Amino acid sequence: MATVTYQGASRIYPGTEKPAVDKLDLEIQDGEFLVLVGPSGCGKSTSLRMLAGLEDVDEGSILIDDKDVSNLPPKARDIAMVFQNYALYPHMTVYENMAFALKLRKTPKSEIDARVKEAAELLQLEDYLKRKPKALSGGQRQRVAMGRAIVRQPQVFLMDEPLSNLDAKLRVQTRSQIASLQKRLGVTTVYVTHDQVEAMTMGHRVAVMLDGLLQQCDTPRALYETPKNVFVAGFMGSPAMNIKTVPLTAEGAKFGDVTIPLTREQVEAAGVGDAKTVTVGIRPEHCKLGEHGIPIEVELVEELGSDAFVYGHAQLGNENGAERFVVRAGSGLLPQLGETVFVQPEVGKEHVFHAETGDRI
Amino acid sequence: MKQRKGLFITSFLVLPVALYAIMVISPFLQAFYYSMTNWTGTNPNYKFVGLDNFKRLFTNELYSVYLIPALKHNAFLLIAMPVIVIALALFFAFMLNVGGRSRGSRIRGVGGSKFYKIVFFFPQVLSVTVVGVLWGAIFRSDEYGFLNSILALVGIPTKPSGWLSDPDIVLLLVMLVMIWSSVGFYLVYFSAAMSSIPTEIYEASMLDGASRVQTFFKVTLPLLFESVQTAWIYLGIIALDAFALVFVMTPEQGGPNHSSEVLGGVMYHYFSSSKAAVACAVGVVLFFFTLTLVMVSLRATRRERVEY
Repeated sequence: MATVTYQGASRIYPGTEKPAVDKLDLEIQDGEFLVLVGPSGCGKSTSLRMLAGLEDVDEGSILIDDKDVSNLPPKARDIAMVFQNYALYPHMTVYENMAFALKLRKTPKSEIDARVKEAAELLQLEDYLKRKPKALSGGQRQRVAMGRAIVRQPQVFLMDEPLSNLDAKLRVQTRSQIASLQKRLGVTTVYVTHDQVEAMTMGHRVAVMLDGLLQQCDTPRALYETPKNVFVAGFMGSPAMNIKTVPLTAEGAKFGDVTIPLTREQVEAAGVGDAKTVTVGIRPEHCKLGEHGIPIEVELVEELGSDAFVYGHAQLGNENGAERFVVRAGSGLLPQLGETVFVQPEVGKEHVFHAETGDRI
Repeated sequence: MKQRKGLFITSFLVLPVALYAIMVISPFLQAFYYSMTNWTGTNPNYKFVGLDNFKRLFTNELYSVYLIPALKHNAFLLIAMPVIVIALALFFAFMLNVGGRSRGSRIRGVGGSKFYKIVFFFPQVLSVTVVGVLWGAIFRSDEYGFLNSILALVGIPTKPSGWLSDPDIVLLLVMLVMIWSSVGFYLVYFSAAMSSIPTEIYEASMLDGASRVQTFFKVTLPLLFESVQTAWIYLGIIALDAFALVFVMTPEQGGPNHSSEVLGGVMYHYFSSSKAAVACAVGVVLFFFTLTLVMVSLRATRRERVEY
C-alpha cells in the first residue's frame, strides 16, 4: 500500500533534445488504479519504466510513499511489473515463475508455497502450475504474469499494456478481471495502455499524455465531459468526437447555415488574439437526425445492433471544404447511402476550444 | 502425386549423399579394414592380420610409449579445455552483453564492448600454424623469448632451457594456447545466443530482485543451455585433435619424451614411418573415443527445448 508521486520527472534519452517525458507531475493515491493513456510515443511507457527503475530519471524525482526512489535500483523499490509480452522465464514452470522473486528473497518454503497456491487459485491457474510457459495459451500466460506480480505482495503494481497480445474477446473479459482483482487486493496500480476504452473502463483516474507532456488527469467521466483541450477531446470516446474549426460570429459558431450558440464569455474567449474562427467539438452521441440542421451526405452506415453510426461529409462553410462527420443514429429508420440527412447537435453538449491554442473555453 | 514428390526429394538428395558416401563414409570403412592388415602405405602387397595392430599398440612397449600418453593427454584436454573455454567465454559474453548496468537502468554491456568483441575474436582469424609459431616465439628458450625477456626485465628467474622443453608444463602450455585461440569464437557465439533472449526477461529478473550473479546462473545460463551443449561438443572435438599446435610448437613434435603426445600426432608418426595400417588402427581408436564423447554428452545433457 503506497502512494506514488512524480515531481517534475523528466527523461531525456542521450543524444536527443526533446524529453521523452517532460516534467511529469502526478500524484497517485494509495490503492488507486491510475491509467496512463496516449498514442504511441507519447511517453506513457517511459513514465512507467521510470517508476520501475528501468529508465533513469534525468530531472525531478519520483516518490513512493514520500520516499525518493529516483536513484534506487529496481529491486529496492518493492514494485512488481506485468510486461506486454509477459516476460515469463521460459525455462521455469508456472510455479517456479511465480516463486522466483520469493526464492531470491529467501522466503521460507512453506510461505512461498502458500502464497503461490493462493495466487494460483485467484487466477484459476491451479491446474497449470507444473507447466512451462510454452505449453500455455496467451490468456494463461497473461494470468501467470499477473500471478508473478501478485505473489510478491508489492507496494505498487505496474502494468505495461498487459492486454494487447490477447484477442478482442479475451481482452474484454480480462479487462474486467484485472479491474476487480485490483479492487480486491487494493494495491496501488499504474496501468499503461494506448486503448482509450481500456482507460475509460478500468481507471479510477486516467492520465492522458501526448509528446511527453501530461495533458489532463481526471476521472473517466470528467475527461469525457470536460476535456481540457482538443487532443483529450478527440482521444477519449469512441467513435471520436467531431472536432471542427468554423467561423466565429457574435452569436456563436457557424456550421454552414446553422449557428451553434455560444455564451458571450465563450465568444470573447474564443476571439482573443483576433481569432476569426473557433474549434467546436460535438460527440456523435450528442446529435439528433432531424428535418433541419447541418446537412450531411451519408457515406457509410455502421450498424452495431444496439446502435448505428452514420458517417458522412458536411459542408461547414470554411476553407476545408467538405468535412467528415459522424453521428449516432437511434435504432429507428436508418438513412441510405448517398442520402442527405440533417444533424441537430444537442444544445449545451458541445465542447468549445480556442482555435489556435486548442484549450477548452 | 506422392510418388512424384518422393522423386523430387530424391533428385535433390542423390548428389550430396553420393559425395558424402564417397568422400566420408568409404574412407572410414577403408580405415577400419586397413587397421586389420599389415599395409605399409606404399607396398601393394599386404595381408589381413586381425586385431594384431591394436594388440601391439596397447601392449608392445615400442608402440604403447606413443599411444598411452597420447590417450591420457587427449583425455586431459577433453576434460579441462572445454570447461575453461566455456566458462571464460560465458563470463566475457555476459559482461559484454548484459554485465554493465551500473545505474540500475537499461540492460547493456560494459563500456567499449563492441571493441572487445573484435579484439577477442582476432585469434580465430589466424591460422593455427601462425598461432603456433607466435606462441613458440613467446616460449623460446633463450633470452630472446618474449616470456623470458619480460621475466628478466622484472627480475624473476627465467627458464633458459625454454618453457616448452619442460615435460611437466608443455601440455599445459599447449592447452593455454588452445584456450587463447578459441575463447573469442565462443564469446561471439554465446553473445549471439544471448542477444536472442528478450530484454524484458532480464528486466523482469531485475525487478524480481536478482543480482547480476543470480541473473547469470538462474536466467541466462539455463536459457543458453543448448548453445553451451553445442559448444561443448565442438570443443571436445578440438581437444581430441590438437595435432597442429603440438606439431608446430613442441620439440620432437610431441615431446619432450612423449610428454605432449596426442592421438593425431601418433597417427602422423606411423603414417610417415611406413606403418599406415598401425596409423589406421590409431584412427579407429580415436573414432571410438570421439563417438563415446558425443554419445555421452548428448545423453547426459538431454533437456527440453526452450522457447521464448
